[in-house]
Amino acid sequence: MHKKSTYNIPFQTIPSVQEALRQKRISCEQLLTDYLSQIEKTRHLNAYVEVFATEALQKAKSIDEKLKSNQPLGKLYGVVLSIKDNISYEGHQLSAGSKILQGYQALFSATAIRRLLDEDAIIIGRTNCDEFGMGSSNENSFYGAVKNGFDESLISGGSSGGAAVSVQTGTCLAALGTDTGGSVRQPAAFCGLYGFKPAYGRVSRHGLVAYGSSFDQLGIIAHTPEVIGDLMQIIAGPDEYDATCLQTPPPDYHTPPKNAHWKVAYFDGILDHQGMHPEIKTAFSDYLEDLAVKGHEVTRVPFEYLDYLIPTYYILTTAEASTNLSRYDGIRYGFRAGQVDNLEETYTKTRTEGFGQEVKRRILLGTYVLSAGYYDAYFAQAQKSRRLIQDKLYAILAENDFLILPVTANYPRKIGTNPSPVEEYLSDIFTVLANLTGVPALSFPIDNKKGKKVISLQLLALKERENTLFQWFTPSH
Amino acid sequence: MKSKFETVIGLEIHVQLNTKSKAFCRDSNLFGLAPNSQVGIVSLAHPGTLPYPNKEQVYSAIKLGLAIDSQINRVSTFDRKNYFYADLPKGYQITQDQTPVCVGGQIPIKVGDQTKLIQIHHIHMEEDAGKSIHDQNASHSLIDFNRAGTPLLEIVTEPDLRSGEEVDALMSAVRQLVRYLDISDGNMEQGSMRCDCNISIRPQGSTTLGNRCEVKNLNSMRFAKKAIQYEVKRQISLTQKGETIQQQTLNFNPTTGRTTPIRTKEDAHDYRYFPEPDMPPIVVSQKKIAALKAALPKLPWDYEQTFLSYGLSPKDSILLAQDLDLAEYYESFVSTYEQAIPFANLLINQIRPTLTGKINDYPISQEYLAQFLTLINDKTINKSLAIKQLLPNMLAQPSVSPKELVKAFSQEKDNNSNQLAETISNIIAAHPDKVKAYRNGKKGLLGFFMGEVMKQTRGQADPGASRKILLKALERAH
Repeated sequence: MHKKSTYNIPFQTIPSVQEALRQKRISCEQLLTDYLSQIEKTRHLNAYVEVFATEALQKAKSIDEKLKSNQPLGKLYGVVLSIKDNISYEGHQLSAGSKILQGYQALFSATAIRRLLDEDAIIIGRTNCDEFGMGSSNENSFYGAVKNGFDESLISGGSSGGAAVSVQTGTCLAALGTDTGGSVRQPAAFCGLYGFKPAYGRVSRHGLVAYGSSFDQLGIIAHTPEVIGDLMQIIAGPDEYDATCLQTPPPDYHTPPKNAHWKVAYFDGILDHQGMHPEIKTAFSDYLEDLAVKGHEVTRVPFEYLDYLIPTYYILTTAEASTNLSRYDGIRYGFRAGQVDNLEETYTKTRTEGFGQEVKRRILLGTYVLSAGYYDAYFAQAQKSRRLIQDKLYAILAENDFLILPVTANYPRKIGTNPSPVEEYLSDIFTVLANLTGVPALSFPIDNKKGKKVISLQLLALKERENTLFQWFTPSH
Repeated sequence: MKSKFETVIGLEIHVQLNTKSKAFCRDSNLFGLAPNSQVGIVSLAHPGTLPYPNKEQVYSAIKLGLAIDSQINRVSTFDRKNYFYADLPKGYQITQDQTPVCVGGQIPIKVGDQTKLIQIHHIHMEEDAGKSIHDQNASHSLIDFNRAGTPLLEIVTEPDLRSGEEVDALMSAVRQLVRYLDISDGNMEQGSMRCDCNISIRPQGSTTLGNRCEVKNLNSMRFAKKAIQYEVKRQISLTQKGETIQQQTLNFNPTTGRTTPIRTKEDAHDYRYFPEPDMPPIVVSQKKIAALKAALPKLPWDYEQTFLSYGLSPKDSILLAQDLDLAEYYESFVSTYEQAIPFANLLINQIRPTLTGKINDYPISQEYLAQFLTLINDKTINKSLAIKQLLPNMLAQPSVSPKELVKAFSQEKDNNSNQLAETISNIIAAHPDKVKAYRNGKKGLLGFFMGEVMKQTRGQADPGASRKILLKALERAH
């Protein structure tokens, strides 16, 4: 997996594409045609489940018309996006990578989609993902695995694997994904991109197919943090269709930093965490040293809950998932198994045939941890440990601007070399923290002096200071 | 003979609220419309939809809680109750398990001449499911999702009830209360109110509770009473046979009058309650609670007390407190015009039976009704005449005061009697021979003269008055 991408990336920021359109160096239609031909060239990577070619071209033409006649345009004209197949887009199919939603057509658009469309963004297609967002490799998709554009034998990461590869291979400017435990940041890292999980409640979940309701957030993958900030400016903010939205207005994602010196914390013992690839360990510690050299205040902080992150996360998310997925029963929409004699059989056959292995595993886990007699031992305990983890992290972030963590302890593995489910779950150790605590996290690739492979780190900040994550990357840094 | 057993009953009363929209979305909350016409993406649990709390449901719950002296939880939380059924779109019901909106409280009911306070365990908010219809198609069940998501309050009582009559009294009290508070139409026939009865028996004098059986979904008071009767008999007979009573959930079949088990304790559902992650806790400010309290109407039992203090009988007090409009109307009359008892009688016996709409739309003003009572009281007009003639006149001309109507009435009466006297003297003059015959003892001729009077007045003359004048004229001419 070499860092240099062999793909042509026509534009990496919104101002650059809009300038090109205004200066008529390219038409919007041509831009779309280029993206669509790139999609065709990369078909074998399996990033897209469906491409909305005709309507996207139509929309591009209408933007060209508006440009020509000087009509007012939305803030996102020329911005071409892919959306993960678990985000509702009115009039389009929505399957969440699952057979159980076969043929289902969305009756409404997610709030984020609506806000983007209102600003003239173009949605080019829906991308492959792990079924209901459950997975870290994109191998748990009804539509098959997504191949990494760097090395087609490797996993793309997941669950937003198609989203990451769609950006990595230059088929769109940015991708909307969802992040329940790292599903945006980890594939972004594996594909050498920036991945952002906003603070819980910052972006409405209305229209996101639920996996773990108190963890899910819509996220963005792009080549630059600027694109992510620009898109956040449009999609963030309260929504009357989601009661868990933060009611405070979102920050200005473009405010310049007050100073270039930050207080950055990292967990004591993290470098020696078991399973940490030596190259990643070295790259991380080199990065920390660099920060100190540049004048940032780098502090090692104790964190005694590292081993509790994964159990806490998987107990709570599977519990929520087990009931969130009860609605897929074959009664009102989607797949319904044939040849059944009664209601009970409709349920068992539909759900047995409609859900994949990993989804069924998590439904069973979640059902178990919520059941009478086990609730206190598992669910209630996990809620308590979630609170402890939150309190601890908030205390660290009150003293420091950022917490810095690797995104993964390892490089992407080969497709088809699935480890045991528990091993796979453990690989999420560094990403689930942001979801357990609801804080925003931005992952970014770093220059790796020693190796040739991409390594990504992530910054976490308090939700009130979400915009500082973007200030970190402004030139003054 | 007094039974050796005591019946112990606790109720879970479901009240459908009359909010404009459903509990957790904007779909309309109207009853009786075409099947599956009041359903949107949230009601049908489409992927990606989220619940959004309806403030009106919360306020309705708090109003009810304040009315029965519950403790109001300023912060209350929703939970999910998980089970699969075809008419439950999400596969779970949003309810309140851990922290309900209202805790405690009591509702007074009438048992014979006594008032008994039924303790309330709590009131919680939840949503209704859709409706499964099993009897319209031989091979399939049909589902109407209109009701899915309808806001409900569940009132859970302590096991304080001792008979079907008390259950009836409590249901009536709740219906009256929710109508007073205008939070539900309280119609059991339409399913706006229904109850689950938890029934057990124990030897008289015992203080421990027996194993209970829960009879589900009783949607009429008559059925509730029958179900209780049947269930108590069944439990007593089992106990007397030395058998233990199995804790069960039962259905009541109104046709057979029997209860039949749905499930036993062993295969009871594990509902896997847990906090609803899609909705943060509901927080209501102290200020809002105070405002809701200040806006509460005077309650039925307070009206009854007031009316008793006016000197009304308990029966009349209850009757006039039956619904809020009537109670308010009556109280406002008495506070302005007094005459509490005469007006109560007028209201109960004359006005209410003829009422077609609301009492507030009654055409005659309270001022004129007060005048009306005064006219009777100072004997300006005889009571039965007032009711028979004046009241209908008032209804026909509600803008004219009863005083004027009476004045016109007596004038007309004077005019009429002068005219009658003239007619009669003409008749006398026209029939001298008949007058003579009468005077000679042929008293039967009075009938002839009466006939003449009626003929000439086209039957309009008052027979009593005519007879009196006629007799006088015949005698005088003697």
